[in-house]
Amino acid sequence: MTQSMSTKLLAVFPIIVFACLFVYLGVQSATFFSLGTFELIAKQAVPTVIVALGLATVVIAGGDDVVAGGIDLSIPATAIICAAIIADQLTNQGNSLVFAMTLAFGAAAIIGAINAFLVVGLRMTPLLATLAMSVAIVGVTKVITSSRRIGVTDETIIFIRDGDIFGIAASVVMTAVLVVIFYHALHRTKWGMNMQATGGSRDAAEISGILTRRFVVQSFLIAAFAGWIASVFVLARGSGSSPGTEENMLLEMVLATFLGAAFSPRRVVTLWGAVLGAVVVSALSVGFISIGVNVFWTGCIKGGLILLVVASAAVASKGRS
Amino acid sequence: MTDALLKMCDITKSFPGVLALDNVALEVARGEIHGLVGENGAGKSTIIKVLAGVYKADAGTVEIDHATLPEVTPRSVHDAGVRFIHQELHLVQHFTVTESVFMGQEEQTIFGLNKRVMRQKAEDFFETALGTTLSGNTLIRDLGIAERKLVQIARALIDDKAKLVVFDEPTAPLTSGETDKLFTAIRKLKEQGIAMIYVSHYLAEITGICDRVTVLRNGQNAGRFEEVFDDSAPAMITAMVGREIDELFPKTEHTPAEPRLEIEGLSADKFEDVSLTVHRNEIVGVAGLVGSGREDLIDTIYGLSKPHSGTLKIDGVAQKFHAPADAVSAGIALVPRDRRHDGLVLDMSVSDNINLAALDAVSNWSLESRRAANTVATDMSETLDIRPRNIAATSRLLSGGNQQKVVLGRWLNKGADIFILDEPTVGVDVGAKVEIYQHIENLAQHGVSVLVSSSDPGELIGLCDRILVMLRGKIVAEVSTANLGVDELVALTTGGATREAAS
Repeated sequence: MTQSMSTKLLAVFPIIVFACLFVYLGVQSATFFSLGTFELIAKQAVPTVIVALGLATVVIAGGDDVVAGGIDLSIPATAIICAAIIADQLTNQGNSLVFAMTLAFGAAAIIGAINAFLVVGLRMTPLLATLAMSVAIVGVTKVITSSRRIGVTDETIIFIRDGDIFGIAASVVMTAVLVVIFYHALHRTKWGMNMQATGGSRDAAEISGILTRRFVVQSFLIAAFAGWIASVFVLARGSGSSPGTEENMLLEMVLATFLGAAFSPRRVVTLWGAVLGAVVVSALSVGFISIGVNVFWTGCIKGGLILLVVASAAVASKGRS
Repeated sequence: MTDALLKMCDITKSFPGVLALDNVALEVARGEIHGLVGENGAGKSTIIKVLAGVYKADAGTVEIDHATLPEVTPRSVHDAGVRFIHQELHLVQHFTVTESVFMGQEEQTIFGLNKRVMRQKAEDFFETALGTTLSGNTLIRDLGIAERKLVQIARALIDDKAKLVVFDEPTAPLTSGETDKLFTAIRKLKEQGIAMIYVSHYLAEITGICDRVTVLRNGQNAGRFEEVFDDSAPAMITAMVGREIDELFPKTEHTPAEPRLEIEGLSADKFEDVSLTVHRNEIVGVAGLVGSGREDLIDTIYGLSKPHSGTLKIDGVAQKFHAPADAVSAGIALVPRDRRHDGLVLDMSVSDNINLAALDAVSNWSLESRRAANTVATDMSETLDIRPRNIAATSRLLSGGNQQKVVLGRWLNKGADIFILDEPTVGVDVGAKVEIYQHIENLAQHGVSVLVSSSDPGELIGLCDRILVMLRGKIVAEVSTANLGVDELVALTTGGATREAAS
C-alpha cells in the first residue's frame, strides 16, 4: 500500500515541480500571469505543438519504450527542410505558395516513407533510424539554402504571423483546429484505438486481428505530415527559413511529448498531454526570458527537466510492475 | 450418440524427425466441458494448434456442427465459432476494461467511437455471461490476474458468436482463490450452452470441472473418460504415463555426507517458505509444473532475483547473493534451462565458453594465455566427449546435447562443488541424455552436491535420491525415489494426490 502511494507521488512529482516553477515565475515577473503573456506563450508554442502531435502519434503507435518503441527524431528536421524548400521556391525561384507547399509535401512524404521503410521493412531501431535521417535531412537543407537565411514576404505567411481570426492569433486558431482533428482521429475512432492497441501491446493487437505493421507505417507518415504543416508556422514565426533551428525544436518536442505523459491520467503519451506539454515548455521559455534568466542557462534547465520527467516515469513504471 | 459439436478425426501431424500427432481423435459435445490432458510433449498443444489453424495437419478432418471445414485457417475456425483463450493474457496495461474487450472490434458511428454503448455492453456481458461485476472504466493494470483473465474471455466472446471455447492452462498464473472466480465464469458459460475444451496439468481441476476427458500420450489417444468423478485422477495418470522408466539411468546408491547447501524459510514473489538441504554426494530433485514456483526458486538460489525473507547457508555459513557472481564465488554452478540464451555465448568458440568462468586460471597478469586455455578446453571436450572434437568450433553450430556438455564443462573446469541443473536435458537427444546423466552421477560420486529442477518426472526419479514437489509456490511433499513410481510423482505435482488426501 505504502509502495503504491509513493509510486503515485513519484508520478505526480514532475507536475509539482512545474507548478512550483510557474508560481516562482509569477512572483518574479508581474506580467507573467496576463492575457498578453498567454497569447505570446501560445504563439511561441505553435510549431512545437504541431511536431509534438507527430511525435505523440509515433509513440502511441510504436509504444513508449524509448529505445525499442516508437520515436521519430526527424520531425523537426522535416519541418526545417520543408520551410527551406518553401522559402527557396517563394523568394529565390519566384513560384506560387501552392506550388512551393506541394513540393515540400512531396519531400515530407518521401521522408516519412523512408522512415517507415527503415523501421518496419528493415526492422531498424526507430531511435537510430530517425536520428540518422535527421542528420541527413539537415545536410540536404544546408545544400538547398547554402546555410543562409531566406526571407519570405508572402501574404499568406504574413497573415499566419500577424493575422487574427475572431480576435485570436491566426496561428493559434489554426493549430487548435489541427489538434482537434488529431485528437478525434487518434482517441475517438476505431482507427485510433487500433493504433493505440498497436503501441500498447504488439502481440495483443496482432491477436485481435489488427494489422500492426500498417499502423506503424501510417504513424511515420503522419509524423512527416506534421513536420510539413509545422514548416509553415516555422516560416511565419521567423519570417523566413533559418537553418539551425531544428535543434531547439527537437529538444522541446521530446520534452513536451514525454512531459505530456506525466500529465495524462494513465501516465502514457497522449495527444492532449503532448499539446499541454508543448504549452508548458513554451511558458517556461517565455517566463525565463521575462525574469531575465541567462539564455545559456535555459538549455541547461530544460535538459534537467527532461531528465526529471523521464526518470520519474521510469521509476514509476518500475514500481507498478 | 451425443450431439457432437466438434469432431476431429484421424489427425496426423509430423515435424522433421518427430511424429507429433498420430491418428488422434477429439470429439466435443454441445455444451460440455471437455478436459484434454497429457504429459509435456504428449501432443496437447499440437492438436490445439491444428484446431486453431496455426499448424496444418498432414491428414485428418475437422468437423464443426456436422460440417467439415474445407480448410482449417484461423479465419475459418473463428467464423465457425471457435475461440481461444491463450495462456498469455495479451492485454494492454493502460487500456480500460471496455477498450480491452473491444480491441480490434470497436463500434463506431460517423461521429466516432460509441464509447458509452461499448461500456454498457461490456459491463452487461460480465454480469450476465460471466456472473461477475466489473467496471468498464477500470484500467487493466489495476485488476487482479483473475479479472484480467475474465477480460480476455470477454474479448473472445463479446460478439456472441462463440460455440466452442478452448482454454489453454487458464489457471496457471492464478492463486486458488482466484481459480474459483474463473470456475464460476466457466460454469456460467456452460449454462449458456457453450462447449469448452479445457487443457490443464492440474488434474484436480480437470476432475472438478470437466464432463468428459480425452487423454493423449506420445501423440496418440491414450484414453477417453465418458464420465469424470472426483477420484478419476489416478486412472488418468495411468493413462497419461503408461510407461516404466527407461533404463537410461546409471543409478547407484549415494551416502549423503554433511549438509552443503541449506535453505530455510525462503520466500519470494512466486514461492513461499521453502526449506531444503542438499548434502555432499547427493542429488536432490525439484519437481513441479510450469508456474509452480520451481524456476523462480532456482533463480533466487542463484542470486538472479532477491528473496523477501529466509536464509541460505553454504557449509553452515549464511550467504547473501546480490548477483549471480556472488553465487559463483561461493562455489555454485548453474546450468540454466535456456542454455542458448543464458548458458552459452553462442558466437564464441567451444574453448572460450569452457574457459569463461575460470579465466583467472589460464591468465598471466590478467592476460589470457591461449595455449593454456586451449589445453583446458581440449581436456574437457575429451572428458565430456563433446562432438565435434573441435574446440575452435562456434558453439551455435553444436547440437543441443553437446551445447549442454559445454556448459557442464565450464563449471567442471571452474571447480564448482554445488551444481544447480535446471531442465538439464530439454531438447537433448537420447544418446546425449544418457551421457549427461552419467556426468551428473559422477559429480555426486566425487562429493559434489547436485540440485536438479526438471519437468520430466522420469528423469527426476531416475537421477535423484530425494525429490521435493512444488505446487503453486509451496513445497507440498518430499519423497525418496526408492520405489517411487512416475504416476505417484505426477499425482503429487498435478495436485491429483493432495485432493485425495484432503477428502
